[in-house]
Amino acid sequence: MLSYLFKRFLIAIPLIFGVLTLTFFIIRLAPGDPAAFFIQPGISPNVAEQIRAQYGLNDPVPVQYVKWLANVLQGDFGRSFSRAQQPVFDVIAEALPITMTIALLTLVANFTFGILIGVISAIRQNTFLDRFLTVTALFFYSMPEFWFALMMIILFALKFPLFPASGLNEIGAEGFGPVEFVLDRLWHLVLPVTVLSINGAAGIARYVRGSMLEVIRQDYIRTARAKGLPEKVVIFKHALRNALLPVITLMGSSLPFIFSGALFIEVIFAFPGMGRVTVEAIFARDYPLIIANTFISGSLIVLGNLFADVLYAVADPRIKL
Amino acid sequence: MTEKGRNRIAAADRFAGCMFFALLMLVLSSCGRHNGGSGQAGNGGRAMDSTLVIAMLGDADYLNPVLGSSVTSGNIIGLIYPSLLQSEFDTATGLVNYIALEKKLRAVTPGQGKKTPKGALAKSWRMAEDHKSITYILRNDAFWNDGQPVVSGDFKFSYKLYGNPVIASARQQYLAELLGADKGHVDFDKAIETPDDTTLVFRFYKPVPEHLALFHTSLTPLPAHQWKNVKPDEFRHSPLNLTPLGAGPYHLKDWKQQQEIVLASSRKSNLPKPGNIPQITFRVVPDYTVRLAQLQTGAVDVVENIKPEDFTALLRANKQIDVKTVGLRVYDYVGWSNIDQEEYRKSGRVRPHPLFGSAKVRLALTQAIDREAIIDGYLKEYGVICNTDVSPSLKWAYNDRITPHAFDPAKATALLNAEGWQPGPDGILQKQGRKFSFVLYTNSGNARRNYASVIIQQNLRSIGIDCKLDVQESNVFFENLQQRKLDAWMAGWSIGLEIDPLDVWGSDLKKSRFNFTGYQNPRLDQLCELAKQKMDPTGARPYWLEYQEILHRDQPITFLYWMKETQGFSKRIEGEELNISGTFYNIDDWRLRPSANVAL
Repeated sequence: MLSYLFKRFLIAIPLIFGVLTLTFFIIRLAPGDPAAFFIQPGISPNVAEQIRAQYGLNDPVPVQYVKWLANVLQGDFGRSFSRAQQPVFDVIAEALPITMTIALLTLVANFTFGILIGVISAIRQNTFLDRFLTVTALFFYSMPEFWFALMMIILFALKFPLFPASGLNEIGAEGFGPVEFVLDRLWHLVLPVTVLSINGAAGIARYVRGSMLEVIRQDYIRTARAKGLPEKVVIFKHALRNALLPVITLMGSSLPFIFSGALFIEVIFAFPGMGRVTVEAIFARDYPLIIANTFISGSLIVLGNLFADVLYAVADPRIKL
Repeated sequence: MTEKGRNRIAAADRFAGCMFFALLMLVLSSCGRHNGGSGQAGNGGRAMDSTLVIAMLGDADYLNPVLGSSVTSGNIIGLIYPSLLQSEFDTATGLVNYIALEKKLRAVTPGQGKKTPKGALAKSWRMAEDHKSITYILRNDAFWNDGQPVVSGDFKFSYKLYGNPVIASARQQYLAELLGADKGHVDFDKAIETPDDTTLVFRFYKPVPEHLALFHTSLTPLPAHQWKNVKPDEFRHSPLNLTPLGAGPYHLKDWKQQQEIVLASSRKSNLPKPGNIPQITFRVVPDYTVRLAQLQTGAVDVVENIKPEDFTALLRANKQIDVKTVGLRVYDYVGWSNIDQEEYRKSGRVRPHPLFGSAKVRLALTQAIDREAIIDGYLKEYGVICNTDVSPSLKWAYNDRITPHAFDPAKATALLNAEGWQPGPDGILQKQGRKFSFVLYTNSGNARRNYASVIIQQNLRSIGIDCKLDVQESNVFFENLQQRKLDAWMAGWSIGLEIDPLDVWGSDLKKSRFNFTGYQNPRLDQLCELAKQKMDPTGARPYWLEYQEILHRDQPITFLYWMKETQGFSKRIEGEELNISGTFYNIDDWRLRPSANVAL
């Protein structure tokens, strides 16, 4: 197992490096100019030139690449162009906790509700309850998140003003005590986490239902029932454990989501998370920040897949790494 | 314990573990950059009573006047930092007035001039007879928030920063008339003199009109004592940028980047006085719909640039909202390449564009476009037909004798026929085997331009012109425009309050960076130069009248419509005055009516 992990890590290094190199060239060859904002009437034509010189964009691209490579090998990903020249990892460090809060709360809700609904649908297959859950799940699954988010705002912030429409805290929250502050933050997270998890749970429920149905028909389930085990033990211990294998893949692939953020939700609910950092960096042609984001999400996708493979082995002793 | 029980406990443990981790992150994210002040606000409701909340689309880039270049930055910097002069747009004349404590550039029209001069650092000024220097006398009772006096040396120090190429300030252009600027490098020792702490002298290499001298010498200063040890190459990322030291009616209380900027009234400020409202919060709300929803629920008090189509619903939903308009500074246009851009790119030769090279064809295109229909359908009473780029708000220069080219497809067809464009077998106009067919480009994410472009496409189709539409990402669109890769496009300009159009129409295509159409007219160049030489702007009126007639005749572009900017305000704000120079022009005078539902 350890040697397997070691090998996978070794393969991951050139892979991530290749991704970064590709990103480096693609963003530089794409149209657009990080100094474009400074090209407007009333601003001296020298400014854009000076800004480009500061960013080192006047060198030929291969020279820029070598310089960049030297810096990256020393762990220096540079300073952001668009965010007051903060070091890129400072920008990310500010956005990451916010994104992770939302993502972790969402994931917990996703898997809890997803698995629960999936199991209920499966054991009550073809009943009214199953059909109702299936249709509802499909309804939410196919709904675009941004639209759903706006509808939730209209419903729960405008028509019935129960929750705030955006922001992380109330005005004046800096004067709250710590408990009140965290409660205020949670109150602000209700709508976005609900939007994200309803959508996600619906998807997971479909997986779990399908996989549960397959497992329930297996001989060993019949055996378990035949030897008189209570139905709960049969379902949750014997069946669910085996049915969760595909769900583990999903868990692995949700790892990047935890760190990369949910763009639409962040824009709509005004959360300064990773999704917004990434997209705003792309629009501003903030090269160092784009590369740092690619590095983080690239590494996480690789790690997430590895994590899923390891979880397979843990969940199913037949799989050996 | 049974096996079942153990399993249940293990599952519960795992679940609790996940929840604990999520909560840990929650606390971590709550800790963020949180250096907020003490609890003057007991609860949200009461905090709102002393806090004005302004929704903004994006965060400020810098709260440093040398570097800040976004609109939000400008608004906030204006509240934090002191300014040499106060400026005020006179809506009766359309001229900008400059005001020092004891002097005004021009007499104020009755009913105007609400801005107090007390915000100005300058007591008065004297322009030299030859217009080659200006001397300010500063007041001696102005202090930075740390108690240090504001002195003339702060200005000299700051101007050196504005002019430093390593710092790359977007306001370098303001130094363009200072001594030495004509040779490429401002000679700061001679150009800016500070004989004592309250005397400040600027010297120019050429005679400069007084209003321009006042405009260009009143850049916001930084406190020299705070910044003197910061090296130019560290200036942009100095930590001092996060803790600006000012002297204005407000100071920075807290800045959570990409979330909110909180300003608190400066109790000791005498420039002009502490702000009336104890606290102003600028909140980043990137999504337009959510900004509207928040205005409706009262979570924010001011939302800028509300789309006309949302007014009725907004006002119906909440009676406590008021929509105010100000203008006219912004217009949309359809740009036609006057010259063959491909030829110009390849060889630098200027040849008329095969489709849009003739002024008569461009006039026909303008007559074929139903500008009223676009205004009626989208902007309604918030749009006005645009004749040229001199705004009707600049009354001293505006030519009101020009009648707009009316929508007249028959006239347009006749003009095109006379120019040799005849309908082909497919109904599309043709001339010497070339079809009148082109792509109209515009930038993405602008509903108004999308609406207008569809009407334009239909209008042109009805007279036999094939116009395809293409929407490009803004960055790409702008780059293509600069590189002269587009033949026809739709875009807009926001005009300055001083008329200076050479960048857009100058015949020297290398120098005039924004002359995307390639329009060339020596008389227009001449008029701009003549107007610049007038020491009093109103003396240039005849030149500007002729300038507008030429643009109206030549139609280098089709000017579509001027737009009023529309801002949503909560009615709990009192005393706000909107002015073309900015929504927050007198924000230090605003007051908040306490909410009725909060027990005091």
